[in-house]
Amino acid sequence: MHALIIDDSRTMRSILKRIVHELGFETTEAANGQEALDVLEAGLQADLCLIDWNMPLMDGYTFVTRVRADQRWRNLTLMMVTTESEHSQIVRALAAGAHEYVIKPFTAEAIVEKLELLGLHAKEVPA
Amino acid sequence: MITVDQPAVQDVYSVVEEVWNTFLGDGVPILPGARDLPDDAWYSAITVTGEWEALILIAMPLALAGRITTTMLGLPEDDECSTEDLTDALGELVNIVGGNIKSLMPGPSTLSLPLVAQGAVTTTSDLVEVCEVGVVWHDEPVLITISVPKLAGGAS
Amino acid sequence: MISETNFGYVADLLRRETAMLCERGKEYLVEARLLPLARQAGDPDVDRYVDRLRTDGRERARAVDALTINETSWFRDLAPYQAFTDNVLPQLLSSRAHTRHLDIWSAACSSGQEAYSIAMLLDEALPAGWTARIHATDVSPSMLERVRTGRYSQVEMNRGMPATRLVKYFQRVGSEWEIVPSLRSMVTVAPLNLAAPFPPMPTFDVVLLRNVLIYFDQTTKRDILARVSRTISPDGFLFLGSTETTLDLDDAWVRETTGPAGRVVVHRPRAGMAAATRPAGAASSAGIASPTTASTANQLPTTLRTGA
Repeated sequence: MHALIIDDSRTMRSILKRIVHELGFETTEAANGQEALDVLEAGLQADLCLIDWNMPLMDGYTFVTRVRADQRWRNLTLMMVTTESEHSQIVRALAAGAHEYVIKPFTAEAIVEKLELLGLHAKEVPA
Repeated sequence: MITVDQPAVQDVYSVVEEVWNTFLGDGVPILPGARDLPDDAWYSAITVTGEWEALILIAMPLALAGRITTTMLGLPEDDECSTEDLTDALGELVNIVGGNIKSLMPGPSTLSLPLVAQGAVTTTSDLVEVCEVGVVWHDEPVLITISVPKLAGGAS
Repeated sequence: MISETNFGYVADLLRRETAMLCERGKEYLVEARLLPLARQAGDPDVDRYVDRLRTDGRERARAVDALTINETSWFRDLAPYQAFTDNVLPQLLSSRAHTRHLDIWSAACSSGQEAYSIAMLLDEALPAGWTARIHATDVSPSMLERVRTGRYSQVEMNRGMPATRLVKYFQRVGSEWEIVPSLRSMVTVAPLNLAAPFPPMPTFDVVLLRNVLIYFDQTTKRDILARVSRTISPDGFLFLGSTETTLDLDDAWVRETTGPAGRVVVHRPRAGMAAATRPAGAASSAGIASPTTASTANQLPTTLRTGA
């Protein structure tokens, strides 16, 4: 399985990459929503997107709305990973079509559990 | 009507604790405590603008800055960190801490991009410090401060 | 760092209050969690604070609180909760159609995630006109207070909680999230020591006794299960932890597999299963159930029983 990690922080991309690598995912990185769209347009076969909210050029919320409006990517799972933790922000993101929402800071366990909720396993996760 | 200009110290401490336990959990916990920072401490800063306005600073000695960087970037503990690495890691740290502190206060408001520098970040006289949380990690100090514009009437 | 004696005291306190184990090697965690409380209480270090704990019940409660945060998750193991919604609830909606009320017991509720997880599922699946009461009990007063307050940290909320339920059932309070009043009112909270005689309680349709029997010896386990069998409806459902079983403990129960891919085990009272043994997942018809051959039971009593 393939995860597209979208965050303008190299550090956060590094943290997420390590977590999903452990789960058997291959990864591609993008530093903002526009870069991520470009990569998808170019034909990347991703199963999961991990998306930061606040990024230059195109933020995560806009990326979600653009992906969900496009039939080509209807099977793409979208998970926000962000510091935006206000109730209203989470409602907005879910309404725009994000499937799940993780608030920073998060443990590796939290990501694993969210992926289980979404039914996404790349390989067996030890108990 | 009483307006609150800053988050409760205990809430800020909880935020810092949660960030450390999740991303910097290495078996050594942070403990409450205040110690002096060296002159060449590293500072990371982020501002909040909107319904609530504030400047949030995290300061620590170089050794801790390096430890945080290697831990977050998944590098070997004694690796040399480039300035670029330090800037990115410390910037993300203040982004996460700042974002969570922002959520404690009335919104809507936005976070700026983080700023990271070595040497004290001094604020203009228009700001007043309203909250200070000092912790000790690996026997060295980390200082988190929140300052708000004076006109907001922030009491210390 | 906390002394060995004091660490032993704290580990013991934790085990007594919450059935949780705190092994060697966790000294740093105890130190980190208790030092802020020590400072608040005016003690210079954790050792002095632990001395205080020996005689101060209120501080003990605070200490237990601080040590047990983050230990449990929502919808733990997931599959049992899916089984509850997909298999158990439809059967109950059919068999309790005359009362339109369900009583559920979360028998070692800890900080309340299990009870409130069930409350969320009920809010989603109970038809209009139905009521449900979730009885949440625990031996620890500080845990019960946590359930009453219904407040959880951000890190606790990240554990197993679907985002849609987070926004539907919780509100922000400071750095934490608090369960909405409509769900809190479904849960009653009371102290209860499983190893002691139970106080008067309703007859339960569902009992959740998950991951707590392991802390008791064989004799006590048998005794607890016997007393639980007297609190449950003849056609009720007992959920144990995913790796737990009543086998070789108590023959008053029948094992049924249910849930996604039949991975979930529920235990039903053997005597009550005389009324009907149906394939897991099939809803029963309302009213009197007819006897069918059980594949697993030895000898079934032939008396017909209706649901409680």
